Amino acid sequence: MIITEKKQKEALLQSLKGFDKLFLTACGGCAAKSLTADEKSVKEIMDFLVSNGKTILESAVIESVCDMRLVKKTLSRNENMQKADVVVALSCGAGVQSIESVLKEKNIIPALDSKYIGSTKRIGIYKKFCSVCGSCILDQTQGICPRTRCAKSLVNGPCGGFVNGKCEIDQNTDCAWVLIYEKLKNNGKCQDFLNQYVVPL
Amino acid sequence: MKFKDKLKSNKFLITAELFPPKGTDISFFSKRADCLLNSGVDAVNVTDNQRASMRTSSLAMCKILADKGIEPILQLTARDRNRIALQSDLLGASVLGIENVLILSGDHPKFGDYANAKAVYDLDTIQLIKTTKMLGSGFDLAGKKLCGSPNFCVGAVVNPTAYPNEMQVLMFEKKIKAGAEFFQTQTVFDVEIFKAFYDKVKSFGVKVLAGVMLIKSAKSLSFFQNLPGVTVPKEIQKKIASSSVALKDGIDICAQTIKQLRQFADGVHIMSIGMEELIPEIINKS
Repeated sequence: MIITEKKQKEALLQSLKGFDKLFLTACGGCAAKSLTADEKSVKEIMDFLVSNGKTILESAVIESVCDMRLVKKTLSRNENMQKADVVVALSCGAGVQSIESVLKEKNIIPALDSKYIGSTKRIGIYKKFCSVCGSCILDQTQGICPRTRCAKSLVNGPCGGFVNGKCEIDQNTDCAWVLIYEKLKNNGKCQDFLNQYVVPL
Repeated sequence: MKFKDKLKSNKFLITAELFPPKGTDISFFSKRADCLLNSGVDAVNVTDNQRASMRTSSLAMCKILADKGIEPILQLTARDRNRIALQSDLLGASVLGIENVLILSGDHPKFGDYANAKAVYDLDTIQLIKTTKMLGSGFDLAGKKLCGSPNFCVGAVVNPTAYPNEMQVLMFEKKIKAGAEFFQTQTVFDVEIFKAFYDKVKSFGVKVLAGVMLIKSAKSLSFFQNLPGVTVPKEIQKKIASSSVALKDGIDICAQTIKQLRQFADGVHIMSIGMEELIPEIINKS
């Protein structure tokens, strides 16, 4: 899913300068699951905005804001939306732009930052595993993506900076290529690695 | 004899490296380069924004060396340029008479003055080595014919001290398959570690120049220890920490390391970090 983070409240307030009547939309998909647009987060942001003099006309949860059909069905004829100065979107960047595409005339302010596509280990702990590069090489890299998990996105083998199996830029992160190497070795595929060449994207 | 021809000889090869200036005043660079003239050094690398900190381009400074009669090795990292810029710079280097290039991934921007700079890596090191060789065949990466083509001697790097070591041995072979004609290594303080690695790769017949570093002071030693992939043996740490003549000891350690390497290795790459005037002394003592 798409992992999002809440924007700093002060920064959000700054981008809402000049807008008084707000319509909040929260995504019930990835953002809700990554606890940036769940019920508690929505209430927290509403309380903050109200305490800073904003009026919230309505808050709507849309199952998947990235589905423009759902956005259209939920928002296009909403009376409070007509009256609102601005839409505050608790969703990823794709969600923000779904709303923009449907409600062309409205100002839209994102309340979240989109970080990456991640897998959930446990709530709040996500693993960045995919860069949506459009050219999957996992068949050649033992199911571990170096494009995403190597700090330098090296697809044909590691640099010389790994230390005891950890990445040179973060001693708490495994070097993706050392992980790949361990599997290559165990699966007897080192020769395949030598002969394979991943072409530039 | 050119560096690429020396690679085919039995000569124990010695390269050094210079950092470009941070700015347009090349007088200090020039002075240090002059120390390397007739010093026994076969070629001199010029670093490419080393430690991911912005400096004058390696390409320009290589041309300064070539004009002095010093054979340059252009260091080219995959970090800062996309495939268009990389190929363009390679062709430009060839036009300026630069014939040796060392391909590296480059230190990650996180280590430098621009931690949030985009780490480009449009090509990785293997792809960049292949691209450099491809330009030599008269075609660019897009398959377009070149009007005149370069003829580079292509070098690559390897870290003999990285663990698991087998992965570096595999990369050594893979870089040769991609077109690498010589190797320069990450800093080696422990000759035995280097020898163990060298014994695994010498059968490939491609020259490996072991990286040796001049320790200037206790402070510089602690800096090296924090570099990715550098391991300093405890005895050297102890000796420098308690020394009142750290630079003298550093020269001796460096010369001693080279002396040991002369017994079996193909050559050395001396990194003296701004004290190139000491290189002739180091070579003489080795």
